Amino acid sequence: MDQLLAKWTKMLSDFSILTAQLRFPARFFGDVMKSSYLRAGAALACAVALSACGGSDGQLVLGGNFAGVTKTGLVLTNGGQEKAINPPADGSGAGSWAFDNLISTDDRYNVEFKSKPSNVSDCTIENASGRAGYHVYTVYVTCTPNFRALSGTIGNLKGELVLVNGSDNVTLQAGATSFKMANVAEDSPYGVSILRQPADQTCTVSNGSGTARQSDISNVSVTCTP
Amino acid sequence: MKSSLIRPALALALAAGLAGCGGSDKAEFVVKGTITGIVYPGAVLTTNGMEIAIAPPATPGAPVNFEFPNKLEYGDVYNVVFKSEPNNQACFTPQNTIPNFNDTAGRLAEIAITYACAVDPYSIGGTITGLTADGLVLANGSTGGTITVTKPAAGVTTPITYTFAGPVLFGTTYGVTVLSQPTGQVCTVANAADTMGAANVTNINVTCVAAPS
Repeated sequence: MDQLLAKWTKMLSDFSILTAQLRFPARFFGDVMKSSYLRAGAALACAVALSACGGSDGQLVLGGNFAGVTKTGLVLTNGGQEKAINPPADGSGAGSWAFDNLISTDDRYNVEFKSKPSNVSDCTIENASGRAGYHVYTVYVTCTPNFRALSGTIGNLKGELVLVNGSDNVTLQAGATSFKMANVAEDSPYGVSILRQPADQTCTVSNGSGTARQSDISNVSVTCTP
Repeated sequence: MKSSLIRPALALALAAGLAGCGGSDKAEFVVKGTITGIVYPGAVLTTNGMEIAIAPPATPGAPVNFEFPNKLEYGDVYNVVFKSEPNNQACFTPQNTIPNFNDTAGRLAEIAITYACAVDPYSIGGTITGLTADGLVLANGSTGGTITVTKPAAGVTTPITYTFAGPVLFGTTYGVTVLSQPTGQVCTVANAADTMGAANVTNINVTCVAAPS
């Protein structure tokens, strides 16, 4: 391919020198340009010149934000480019992303899924396609995970108890025998702990922590004494 | 309409009509805008010698419209800033928005300032005592992130300190549990759960001992 390019380029430059030096009459020049051979060469040279300016190695970012990504497996594509989006360390499942390679002004883009994480019900892309006028930060990828219920039993509760699973909390009154926390996304951890003990009682949690998998969690058990 | 007299007369009539609406024959500009994200009371906005207090909306975080009582004239410079932010919140120009709180009246047809407020974030962490093996993973519920703690390097005496990567917002609960125990050890967490106050939490202390055989 490179050899062919070089050949075409040389041929074209020879042709320009020739035309410049010999000053062909316009009519002859017109005839020459009618040759499909030379016209193809000129087009190719233009393409080469353009790719030198931008082409595959452009100057514009193509990316955006993502949310709901709690597991590896999300891969986006644009043309031949691929970008894997991994879950961020802070557990939020959200962040910003961009393709590693830059695109050029006026490049058309169309971001599609190559693969989705296994723990989502679905993912969507907002503003997936367009034409780059400037840096593109508006491709929003949102994944909706599968959710699992988190519940358990309580024994011997005689006062007010507050249970938490991180930022989720539930207040239980004397006599409660079961509790239910907010649903947990598949593959997310959970950890039920006690924020506030009932007056004059001490409660302990067993089976309080783990990772949500393919089924609901119902084996968390809280026991209060005396 | 070709008459050169009719056109100015018409313009004058139009101006008079507009002035009738505004109550003055000068162009006047209302300093107003919208703030999103307000949860707590305490916000006071100020500009051009005026102050207005802004109460949190009924639905926490919902957009709140504000409007200063006195109008500005064309060319007046305004600089709408927080004399005090909502309690336990920080306010700023929303992401991907050009700051517009400081400008000259009349440069744009209408003044529409945008602010967003977010609840203050704090970190959680503590010390880990007695850790002699790898494999310890701590979690803060389902959405607060996890932290994997490797055993301290040789020569490092415990306790070591740890901090979760994800922040906890003021007024939000946290609860740290052991998601995965280190090999051959059992760790327990003290001061595991509470509601976030206005300071970083550093007392969620983990103690590890040999697992009963």
